[in-house]
Amino acid sequence: MPENGTSATGPKDTTARAAGSAAAPQLRKAVVVGGNRIPFARTGGAYTKSSNQDMLTAALDGLIARFGLQDERIGEVAAGAVLKHSRDFNLTREAVLGSALSAETPAYDLQQACATGLETVLGLANKIKLGQIDSAIAGGVDSASDAPIAVSEGLREILLDLNRAKTLPQRLQVLSRLRPKDLAPDAPNTGEPRTGLSMGEHQALTTAQWKITREAQDELAYNSHRNLAAAYDAGFFDELLTPYRGLSKDSNLRPDTTLEKLAGLKPVFGKNLGAEATMTAGNSTPLTDGASTVLLASEDWADAHDLPKLATVLDGEAAAVDFVHGKDGLLMAPAFAVPRLLARHGLGFEDIDFFEIHEAFAGTVLSTLAAWEDEEFCRTRLGLDGALGSVDRAKLNVNGSSLAAGHPFAATGGRIVASLAKMLHAKGQVDGRPARGLISICAAGGQGVVAILEAH
Amino acid sequence: MSGAQPVILGEMPSLSKLYVNAAATAARRRVLGTHAGTQLPGCSHEVRGVTAGVANLTAYQHLIGETASDVLPAGFLHALAFPLSMSVMNRDDFPLPLLGMIHLTNKVVQSAPVLFSEALDIRAWAENLRGHRAGTQLDLVAEVRGAGEDFVRWRGVSTYLAKGVFLPGIDKPSAAAASDGFRAPNPTALWQLGVDTGRAYASVSGDFNPIHLSVLSAKALGMRRSIAHGMYLASRALADVGAAKGDAFSWDVAFEAPVFLPARVALDISTVQGDDGAWLRSDYVAWSPHSGRKHFSGSVASLK
Repeated sequence: MPENGTSATGPKDTTARAAGSAAAPQLRKAVVVGGNRIPFARTGGAYTKSSNQDMLTAALDGLIARFGLQDERIGEVAAGAVLKHSRDFNLTREAVLGSALSAETPAYDLQQACATGLETVLGLANKIKLGQIDSAIAGGVDSASDAPIAVSEGLREILLDLNRAKTLPQRLQVLSRLRPKDLAPDAPNTGEPRTGLSMGEHQALTTAQWKITREAQDELAYNSHRNLAAAYDAGFFDELLTPYRGLSKDSNLRPDTTLEKLAGLKPVFGKNLGAEATMTAGNSTPLTDGASTVLLASEDWADAHDLPKLATVLDGEAAAVDFVHGKDGLLMAPAFAVPRLLARHGLGFEDIDFFEIHEAFAGTVLSTLAAWEDEEFCRTRLGLDGALGSVDRAKLNVNGSSLAAGHPFAATGGRIVASLAKMLHAKGQVDGRPARGLISICAAGGQGVVAILEAH
Repeated sequence: MSGAQPVILGEMPSLSKLYVNAAATAARRRVLGTHAGTQLPGCSHEVRGVTAGVANLTAYQHLIGETASDVLPAGFLHALAFPLSMSVMNRDDFPLPLLGMIHLTNKVVQSAPVLFSEALDIRAWAENLRGHRAGTQLDLVAEVRGAGEDFVRWRGVSTYLAKGVFLPGIDKPSAAAASDGFRAPNPTALWQLGVDTGRAYASVSGDFNPIHLSVLSAKALGMRRSIAHGMYLASRALADVGAAKGDAFSWDVAFEAPVFLPARVALDISTVQGDDGAWLRSDYVAWSPHSGRKHFSGSVASLK
């Protein structure tokens, strides 16, 4: 176990130790009571006209109904959306006001690109551990269909100047600057602001760097669909999902897809990058609409409300990489966050029973796994003695992940936390210790957030 | 050279008047068949107490991708000094035709930062007239000092080529430069340059050279389409290098194939670090992802 700043704090319960603080108080546990999401819909599908607030409220109301939270004053609700209109500055509070929760429930918005959902869970869990709140709802929502569209910079400046102009001649002078091109709208895109490369193009560079084959990516995508379909068949999502707008399953799911069908798709990313293009619409996540929520609580609050305690939120870690000039791949930050988090708890891959690695692209998952198996990378970049190790594929995304379910950016964290908590609860104990699950989510801006959950 | 007799101008010359005058001079020389000899002007031009407009600075910073800080970007100082360099090339005793000159390379040394609120003394002159296999080249040098100071905070050397102009008494190197067999690396950035890129840079830099403004105005000067300003491209690359460069750095660029607008330009920036991990240099190269041709390359290096 590499040195880190916590080793000087002495033999304390690692589950309740604040990193770097020698005098950390004994923290209480934050537990996942359960979750609720709406099925994820491919963009332009069932939720085309539903706003972020509509979907978040739908997911929230399903959660309230499932756990009997009508008129309940929850300690705090935190959620967010990646694609958010400026009028939705209080998106989460507005969703709370539109829900059956007590109107005295405070709420805040959070945004950390695709890590938004997981970060709301970690932030609220920390508040519960500290005793600041007893209950919380974490969540996330995104609509690629109902995306905000901005006016051009030229028109925006003219409108703002027009607002500042005081006299008619001044206003006319401002208006005279208007040109036809100023009327072209400015739609959001998936390009990284500092590089102009799309997320898919960035990942294509990383995929080629780690020599991930087309076959390996297609296989991962195939397994995602197969596992998600099996989970639906087994009724796994019955307690995790509320139908919405006629959908009762994720509309991206293709239970009948085959490796042959996936192999027939044409590459869409990395076609001009020199290396062979291997990333297709089949092994990349599609744009998706959807929302998810997770109910968190202290043990006492859950007991007092006669609610289940599925799993505890053990700990989380964020990392970021210097991707701008290609030192690391855009989506490789979890490769750095996971070993730091494991080290803090003295854990290795053999101590993890479920790996939930968000499938932004099949290439992202496989590049991350390859990095952890690469001795050179682990020694020089992670500061380890050798390779971190191999992830047992039988433990990876066992109920499917984003390639099959879809990925409404901020909603993915809540989907994974609620599903993993249920899996951990079902697994219970492993070799006399609670079952453990690792969550890894990559995000735009070269960021990543990871977390460990344990069966309660 | 910098010690040459300075001609103090009362204010920064107007670029648009300079372009009109250059066109008139070109026409006059064509009709009369006269030229201005084979010597560069022996004097320098200087303007004292120049200040940057903050609105213009902000627009420049936003366009180039620089954070709108109070420090003038090195490329902004080039644009600030550019009319003065142009006025040197616009002199009656300047031996080469100004219009149609090709910007080959640009070298800047930024020794200390310049704040937008400071008054500046700017001096420019021409030197180093010499042969080129395709014509005649020379250096336009500009220096920026704080008003009344001796210390040069910014120094730029722009090398221009007058293509097809061979002056008597100046030898031309006969061998063409060998092709360096450029092979595009993986990009670290991809720029989408719209057809209005030239107009946008003209409005923040004041450089309304017709070859950058529109298809029509570029065609009038023999180009098939408008091209992006070289200093726009180089300044974006400088901005892309980011905060690592600090306050004191050198910044070089060599231009190759022009960027015809609209265009997609791929860019690779690679960082060179010292043994202690400190930033030494960022090398950049830009090319067309369509044709693979190199557009420009250069580096930003620490002065330490």
